[in-house]
Amino acid sequence: MSKLGVFDVSVRYGKVPALTDVSFTVEEGERMFISGPNGAGKSSLLKAICGAVPTTHGRIEVDGDMLNGRSPEVIARLGLTMVPEGREIFGTLTVEENLRVGTGIRPDKPAVETDIDEVYQSFPILGERRHTNAGALSGGQQQMLAIGRGLMTNPKLMLVDEPSLGLAPNIVDQVYDTLVNLQNDRGLTLIIVEQSSARAARVGGRMVLLRGGSVVGDGDAAKFAESDLLKEAYFGQNKAEDAT
Amino acid sequence: MNAIPQLFFDAMSLGGIYAMAALGIALIFGVMKLVNFAHGEYIAFCVFALIVPSTDAVAVMFLGKAPAFLLIPTLLLIGAAVAVASEFFVFRHMRNATPVAMMISSFALGFVIQNILLVVFSSRPKAVSLWPELNQPVSIAGASIPLLQLIVILSTLIVVVTLAVLLKRTRIGLEMRAAAENFTMARLLGVRANVVITGAFALSGALAAAVALIMVTQTGVADIRMGGQIMLVAFIATVIGGLGSLPGAVAAGFLIGAASVILQGFLPLEARPFRDAFLFTLVIVSLLLRPEGLFAPRSSKPRV
Ligand SMILES: Nc1ncnc2c1ncn2[C@@H]1O[C@H](COP(=O)(O)OP(=O)(O)OP(=O)(O)O)[C@@H](O)[C@H]1O
Ligand SMILES: [Mg+2]
Repeated sequence: MSKLGVFDVSVRYGKVPALTDVSFTVEEGERMFISGPNGAGKSSLLKAICGAVPTTHGRIEVDGDMLNGRSPEVIARLGLTMVPEGREIFGTLTVEENLRVGTGIRPDKPAVETDIDEVYQSFPILGERRHTNAGALSGGQQQMLAIGRGLMTNPKLMLVDEPSLGLAPNIVDQVYDTLVNLQNDRGLTLIIVEQSSARAARVGGRMVLLRGGSVVGDGDAAKFAESDLLKEAYFGQNKAEDAT
Repeated sequence: MNAIPQLFFDAMSLGGIYAMAALGIALIFGVMKLVNFAHGEYIAFCVFALIVPSTDAVAVMFLGKAPAFLLIPTLLLIGAAVAVASEFFVFRHMRNATPVAMMISSFALGFVIQNILLVVFSSRPKAVSLWPELNQPVSIAGASIPLLQLIVILSTLIVVVTLAVLLKRTRIGLEMRAAAENFTMARLLGVRANVVITGAFALSGALAAAVALIMVTQTGVADIRMGGQIMLVAFIATVIGGLGSLPGAVAAGFLIGAASVILQGFLPLEARPFRDAFLFTLVIVSLLLRPEGLFAPRSSKPRV
């Protein structure tokens, strides 16, 4: 389960195009990084997949189910979950309440309690602070909570937007270790936005490179780390732009 | 001397009404960022639901004749139904509209409800005698307090505690709090927007019905304009309390109730007609000092 297909997807905010005809597929259990410079459309792509922004063109499918035009709450029920940029944890709710928000869609209510314990095992600090308001957590703890909260929906496909943003390198290591372990344990399909190609290469997986709202590269993350394509995507100007 | 306990009970009961009305507004604002100015008209609508539709000056009881154990839940349901219907027919179609556009349509909806009442009941205030025995005084701590005041204070407590338990201990309460803080994120986690919004409107409408019951028992009048004044005060209470903050709305409701009772009691006689001017001056001062409200919700910004 959980093969994702994105076909010719475009997104625009008013007149500003954020994505233009983006296509790729992700296999079940695969780990894929999305990289690219600021404003490349990485977040917009994740938002389009989970229904937070509408697409203006193209189609998005999970296991043959069309996602576009569906509301985020319906898409969540299909087994997709989003760990957004900036974490967006509920600061006025306690840590444990944050974990429970997404469990309403699960038919397997008894498993919720064991899953909460499992999240506390993966992130012991969350267990210690389960009754504190989440707004009082540190940035790294909030990132762990956002991942735990996503896991509590029992997803098949998890979209994680820049988990390393603003975190100390050792915390980033910890977050990635946990993500990889969770993926191995549960057979999750993972799509992670990661600006650092070195980091992506170290964790390992496939990488799709976005620039100016289009896919400019798709391949093994380790190969990208040394390639000129990456530098070009970040710093270079392509021929078309030079001509104008 | 019994002036102090008297003032206390006056302040608590007036504050209780304001708090309940403010809660009704804050609940909707929390989940929809809508300041629902039709809330006052929900209150008026519930008052008129007690009497037989007619344009006569003397009101004949209709639902008002029912025994309390039937009357109260029925009226709460009517209030909830009016609010839910207004969401379904008006606000649901404006989900993506700007807050200002939504607010203006809530004004429009208020006018529509008021004009329906006008056509059916005429604009003359009517005398309504609901539970007149509740206005009998009882004596507590040397003060003679109308029984109704005690009931108002008690019902406010019950309403606030019930609401707190509902929000804190139930699934829908959790979803409402999450949605109030970050609606998109809540939806991404599978929280159904329609369920949460309908729930908030139902609660808000039931609160309007509770306020209606208290107001009509206290004043003995049904007036199609009766929602306006309380709506204004309740709106101010939600702003002072920090828009969207439920504890803030309750606290500010009590604060305004207390302030107006104290002003009424201690202003020099010749200044008393201008009590509201003094009250609103205090409101302005408080907003100048704390524009985000006295009890603004804790910041939920991520810490990096
Ligand atoms: N809500 C919005 N309204 C208008 N334009 C937007 C909005 N969100 C994003 N954009 C624009 O869409 C484009 C893509 O933005 P997006 O956030 O998807 O980029 P990103 O790759 O995630 O960038 P970053 O690395 O900074 O997170 C940018 O040009 C941005 O200005
Ligand atoms: Mg982004």
